Amino acid sequence: MKAIESIPDRKLLLFKSCMVGQEYPGVETATRYVFDQLGVDYCINDEQSCCTGIGHYTDIFEGLTTTAIAARNFAVARKCGYPNITCLCSTCYAINKEACELLNTNAEVRDKVNSIFREKGFDDLVYEIGDMNPRTNFYHAVEIILSKVGKIQEEKKFDFSGVKAAAHHACHYYKVKYLDVVGSPENPQLIDTIAAACGASPVRWYEDRTLTCGMGFSQLHLNKSTSLQVTKTKLDSLQRAGVELMIHMCPNCHIQYDRYQPVIEKEFGVEYDMVHMNIAQFVALSLGADPYKVCGFQTHSVPLEGFLEKAGIV
Amino acid sequence: MMPYVNEYDTPDCKTLAETAKKSIRTPESLGLDRCIQCGACTASCPAARFTDYSPRQIVKKVLENDHSVLESEMIWSCFYCYSCNVRCPRNNSPVTIVQVLRQMAINEGIGIEKLGYFLEIGEYLAENGASKVPGAGIKNMERDLGDRWIGMKKNLEFIRSELGLSSRDIRDTHGEVQAILESTGYFEREKWIKAKIQEKKVNGFLKTDCSNNERKSGDFGFESDREYTGQEAFTI
Ligand code: SF4
Ligand code: SF4
Repeated sequence: MKAIESIPDRKLLLFKSCMVGQEYPGVETATRYVFDQLGVDYCINDEQSCCTGIGHYTDIFEGLTTTAIAARNFAVARKCGYPNITCLCSTCYAINKEACELLNTNAEVRDKVNSIFREKGFDDLVYEIGDMNPRTNFYHAVEIILSKVGKIQEEKKFDFSGVKAAAHHACHYYKVKYLDVVGSPENPQLIDTIAAACGASPVRWYEDRTLTCGMGFSQLHLNKSTSLQVTKTKLDSLQRAGVELMIHMCPNCHIQYDRYQPVIEKEFGVEYDMVHMNIAQFVALSLGADPYKVCGFQTHSVPLEGFLEKAGIV
Repeated sequence: MMPYVNEYDTPDCKTLAETAKKSIRTPESLGLDRCIQCGACTASCPAARFTDYSPRQIVKKVLENDHSVLESEMIWSCFYCYSCNVRCPRNNSPVTIVQVLRQMAINEGIGIEKLGYFLEIGEYLAENGASKVPGAGIKNMERDLGDRWIGMKKNLEFIRSELGLSSRDIRDTHGEVQAILESTGYFEREKWIKAKIQEKKVNGFLKTDCSNNERKSGDFGFESDREYTGQEAFTI
């Protein structure tokens, strides 16, 4: 288990996410806003590439390619002096953590990756054993936010009291490297704890809380009906629990819930009352951020206007 | 065409179990031999809940060294959600074993048409240092998500600039990502995959275009518990 006291607030490389960038750029700006407000020391580096997660888990990238790309990103992080890779996307988090473990433990792969770097003249990318620590150099942004929960509670400008919120923790955060989770991987409470600090009433347990969002990488595209059945199961359960706001921590879940909620409503003839946002967007609102200029809610599919009005933000 | 060689994901070993254990896709401590067929993985599995897929049976097939598992449509139903990974009491990891099986199937050209859909990801990554939903996926999304989403996508560069971000999410990788994809054999494999899909098309092996593939697992009669014929996919 990861101890909350061990989570750093210095030298964080805020690891850009492709799906955030293309679908919900407000998640990146909201995270930056929150980090700025909370005095977190981070940097963003355009030299950092995609982690390959989307290609790795749709089976088109070999493990070797994924590992080499990860090693390059580790070098980017180290060279700029911000070695604590902090992800917006749970898949970036798991991919990087696993690649680091592999590079440290598998000499054959490490040598192969390094020989490619040397051959290409990329000597500064070479990875030596222990250059990064899989347990202490990799974080998800939600962990950083959680570690500042006291400060959020003190400094919040807006209180969400009365809002019934539910959390969906991302599978690739707590089910891949499950020994390195803050709290229990059987029932993670990071988002709930943060939401409570912002005044909301978290629905701590709802049916199928730990069920995946349904995206399933290739599943959404190749087996769409099964994929949407999974998502519908979650949304049904949230509806029964009277949830107004669902909070998540991964752009893939965000796409699945926010983009496909209207599709499920149409295809299955159902109606849902809940809206969606990322935990960083939620905390940013609570700290006084603009819903459009910082949180980027204009890119969402389920309109948030009704919710924001009711909560008294707009 | 010769099978594709992917030595790190699918090292050449005597048995499926050995390949799975040696693969870099599975954890070093993989408890495959410790599997007690308890079914905790299947009980936690979204694919098992909504189709007749079963990670427990896949593990059993691997332990029996039954290569027919590679032909099964079932291996393509996994969500890679890792629920089985966290729940297994024996530190086994059906999800990563399925990843190895898919790679083995790909080497033989089995199910390879499914990859056609995603190949663009690699080309885009090489060029821009970032990934995106491939073109065919965008078409499906346009159809499903309609005008609101299409309008947002048209406006994205403006929205990003308004948020204070660069108008497009393009990374500055100095050609290094392109070179890494090249040297780790990505482009070679992409070429091989495309040729293989073409070969299957010419030989008429592909009945459906993968973008219309809505089949559930099970229609390949895979079950290893022989008398169990598989249940109907459960539809809400
Ligand atoms: S949960 Fe683990 S031990 Fe049980 S059947 Fe699945 S793989 Fe085997
Ligand atoms: S990762 Fe695959 S096998 Fe494991 S629980 Fe999820 S869908 Fe089932």
